[in-house]
Amino acid sequence: MLLLPKFDYEEPKSLPEALAMLSELKGNGKVIAGGTDLLVNMKKGTVRPACLVSLKKVEALREISGEDGGLSVGSHVTISEIADSDRVASTFPVLARSASCLGSPLIRNRATIGGNIVTARPAADLPPALLVLGARVELRGKDKDRTVSLDGFFTGPGTSVIETREVLTRIVIPSPPPFTGADYIKLGHRAALEIAIVAVSSRLTLDKPDGVIVDARVILSSVAPTAIHAVSAEKALMGQRPSEDLFAKAALLAVGDSSPITDIRGGAEYRRDMVNTLVKRTLLKAFNDARDMKGGNA
Amino acid sequence: MKKLITLTVNDTEYEVAVAPNRTLTQVLREDLNLLGTKEGCGVGDCGACTVVLDGKPVNSCLVLAVQADGSRIKTIEGVAHGDSLHPVQETFVELGAIQCGFCTPGMILSATSLLEKNPHPTEQEVRQALSGNLCRCTGYQKIVEAVQEASRRMKG
Repeated sequence: MLLLPKFDYEEPKSLPEALAMLSELKGNGKVIAGGTDLLVNMKKGTVRPACLVSLKKVEALREISGEDGGLSVGSHVTISEIADSDRVASTFPVLARSASCLGSPLIRNRATIGGNIVTARPAADLPPALLVLGARVELRGKDKDRTVSLDGFFTGPGTSVIETREVLTRIVIPSPPPFTGADYIKLGHRAALEIAIVAVSSRLTLDKPDGVIVDARVILSSVAPTAIHAVSAEKALMGQRPSEDLFAKAALLAVGDSSPITDIRGGAEYRRDMVNTLVKRTLLKAFNDARDMKGGNA
Repeated sequence: MKKLITLTVNDTEYEVAVAPNRTLTQVLREDLNLLGTKEGCGVGDCGACTVVLDGKPVNSCLVLAVQADGSRIKTIEGVAHGDSLHPVQETFVELGAIQCGFCTPGMILSATSLLEKNPHPTEQEVRQALSGNLCRCTGYQKIVEAVQEASRRMKG
């Protein structure tokens, strides 16, 4: 049996109380949300916080609400609440799709959106979808609050700009422009409890149903230290008329943007091939949805 | 320092003093002597420790007992009504969905949670709902059939 090391446990009644506590703990405290990643790492001995701070009494962190045509999601909303939410499915189906790919039903019932972001795993399921949607995260501290774009949030495997005294409280997704479609595809050996070999999320915005691409976002996951934009692919798509040839060209450029490693889940060569395939597929689906405006507009 | 928590397990309320580093699996097994909940991998991969926490099946090895303070929990011991088995338990026995039995409590809790939410699942939906519970004996086919048969019986 894997045992947990000793630690203290606190359940502050409000966010300000939690922030004061974390500030006082000076890096020895850690927020526990779903615990599906943190407790595993603590059992394996890779993290040893002196005190865990649970925010389960802070109700506001568990709310999903509409905001200016977009969405505001509390950091402690669980992955299954996102996967099952009608509001998410109708406004941002790509986010619901990525949520339903995470872990297993049992894990999804505990794991939270905030946890999936702050752990900063290079293969995490929600960040690619959140990145194509242009999400921002709200970070609260005892003395200062800030909102940062998810684009600048991750700094490496397991690292991000969040400070030990800060709490990620909310994820804000802006309203999608018209004629926008998106997709997320995760490639794994099996459909559950799987860490992606490669995952890709893409989003296209057209100026009109049969028009040109006015915004293109292609995010590659598990093929670089963090989820990354396939910058050259995005550049090649901008201002162009969508076609399968264009998508094939963009997919090849995306392969050049990736820097996969060979590990137990897959070889670098195979991963590059799969970047090519998945970029093409996600672009095609994004384009079809953008043109038809099916299933909401993202 | 130990914390005093209240757990309502299978409709019985318990007050337990627990150290923060003890998981819900440990407290159920060691303090409440409910040995039906198994610990397999301890890291959320196998599902042997599945319990229903406030209506949702979860891996109890990744829940701190202190986090579950004030919650309602259902374990395998709370699935049958007295001496009469739940239809899912009956069909597991009848259709050979149990071999060594280690995964069975978790499988049954995931299956009963599914049927409460979705009384007539497709085969695909059953497989998805059980995808966090590993079985190394049966090859899953009999388990899926047992859940589908229980769904048919519960209809009547």
